[in-house]
Amino acid sequence: MASTVMDAAVASAADRVSLLFLGLYDTLADWRDAILTEASGAPTPSVLDERVGALVLPPLREPDPLLIGAGFIAAPEFTGSSELHFSWWLGPLDDNPVFGATAAPSRLDLASRSYSDYLRDFASLEWYRIPSTTHRTHITGPYIDHLCACDYIVTVTSPVEAGGRMIGVVGVDVYVKRIEREVLPALLATGRRLALVNKAGRVMVSTDPAVAVGTVLPALADSTPCPGTPFRLVPTAPTAPAAR
Amino acid sequence: MSIPTRDGARTTRAVPGARDAVFAQLADAGRAEQVARRLADAIVLGVLAPGERLPNEAELARRFGVALVTAREALGMLREAGLVETRRGRDGGSFVVHPGDADDAMLTARLRGLSQVELGDLAVYVTTIAAGCADRAAERSTPPDDERLRAWVDAADFSTPSAARRNAGGFLLELAVLSQSTRLVREQLRLQAEFGPLLWLGMRDPALRARAAAAADAIARAVAAREATAARTAVSALLSDVAAWLLGAKARIETGGTIDG
Repeated sequence: MASTVMDAAVASAADRVSLLFLGLYDTLADWRDAILTEASGAPTPSVLDERVGALVLPPLREPDPLLIGAGFIAAPEFTGSSELHFSWWLGPLDDNPVFGATAAPSRLDLASRSYSDYLRDFASLEWYRIPSTTHRTHITGPYIDHLCACDYIVTVTSPVEAGGRMIGVVGVDVYVKRIEREVLPALLATGRRLALVNKAGRVMVSTDPAVAVGTVLPALADSTPCPGTPFRLVPTAPTAPAAR
Repeated sequence: MSIPTRDGARTTRAVPGARDAVFAQLADAGRAEQVARRLADAIVLGVLAPGERLPNEAELARRFGVALVTAREALGMLREAGLVETRRGRDGGSFVVHPGDADDAMLTARLRGLSQVELGDLAVYVTTIAAGCADRAAERSTPPDDERLRAWVDAADFSTPSAARRNAGGFLLELAVLSQSTRLVREQLRLQAEFGPLLWLGMRDPALRARAAAAADAIARAVAAREATAARTAVSALLSDVAAWLLGAKARIETGGTIDG
């Protein structure tokens, strides 16, 4: 009996996680449609920036924004360029020892991230490569993104396709600390020790003090999927002690 | 893995963070000299490449946090030193001139200006951060992370000094990313920006470049094998090697020799 009640609480926590990400998918679908509506011929990068900025700047300007980064990354063919074009904005950054604090959204300036030269090829990075091969929305992370916010984040990217070709990806970045704020109450309400993990078992939020965010838990059978996302809620105690 | 470049031939392939450090703000008096010196160092160390266009005066002033007239004065000093040339017209601007034999004289002065104890302490700090990153990376990496790191290492070029500097610094940053620690990533970025050009000076030595490439390979294998101790040990050994090269070069200079022997 008690177990059923607790299971319902776990299912409810999983739904809370799903709801958060389904909202992000909706946002991305709106942006994708808007870009496709206006996508006639190859727009110049500045025209593209203007269009994308009009879409993504309002949510980044909200007080206490959910998004810390958003935009459209255009395939080289779409802008007639030899490389990806980043129509990408960062939300206001709190005191950031690397890039400084900003009070308003700022355009990503890759020239100021020249240390990332060692990456060689942005198109090979997960948030671009996976949607381009699967044709589906993909969640990258949690991971430390040193190109943008230089923080622990999750990136959601959706392919934008016209005429059977991907013309780019629309995407959003969300701080892991913000996701924690959104879902931790529901996780704590389960009264259980559990962790929200990604497909690789990487912990994003945990109610178990012994299970740290960023660690990897082994695959477990009795986990609860968060529908529509690659995330799962994994019990960490007493049957599944923390991976150390 | 193919190696497309995302920037044109004219853009410098610098050590990670080095370019950002070049333009970091200045605080003290003698600002024009400081701006000129920072840029001269960058040109001599190859952080800014021959043929590369420097930011214009207004942009330089903004990035260094100095007055426009100060930036202009600094560019004048660089012109006099023969390190940049200014061209007029639509495609004009100040361009980096290939420095001649003056390189080694400047590098020598720079290395001479640092004490052994300062160099040694820098090595301790850089090693501690990097070894900590390797340790956590080995603990927290997942199979997809291992594959990505492996693919990167397999395609990484250590064949020239500038490529080796960029990739050695990039590799340490990648280890920091795998540690899942925001603080370690930020510290690694800061260290590379502040000390990268100096730290990787030894990449002009082909033997050290080969050892750095081998070390990156061994560290990636240790991470993938979840062998934290092996990863930490290999990172520490690489940085000891790099520090020993710097101290050796300093000793050669102090005894009247050149950087390379």
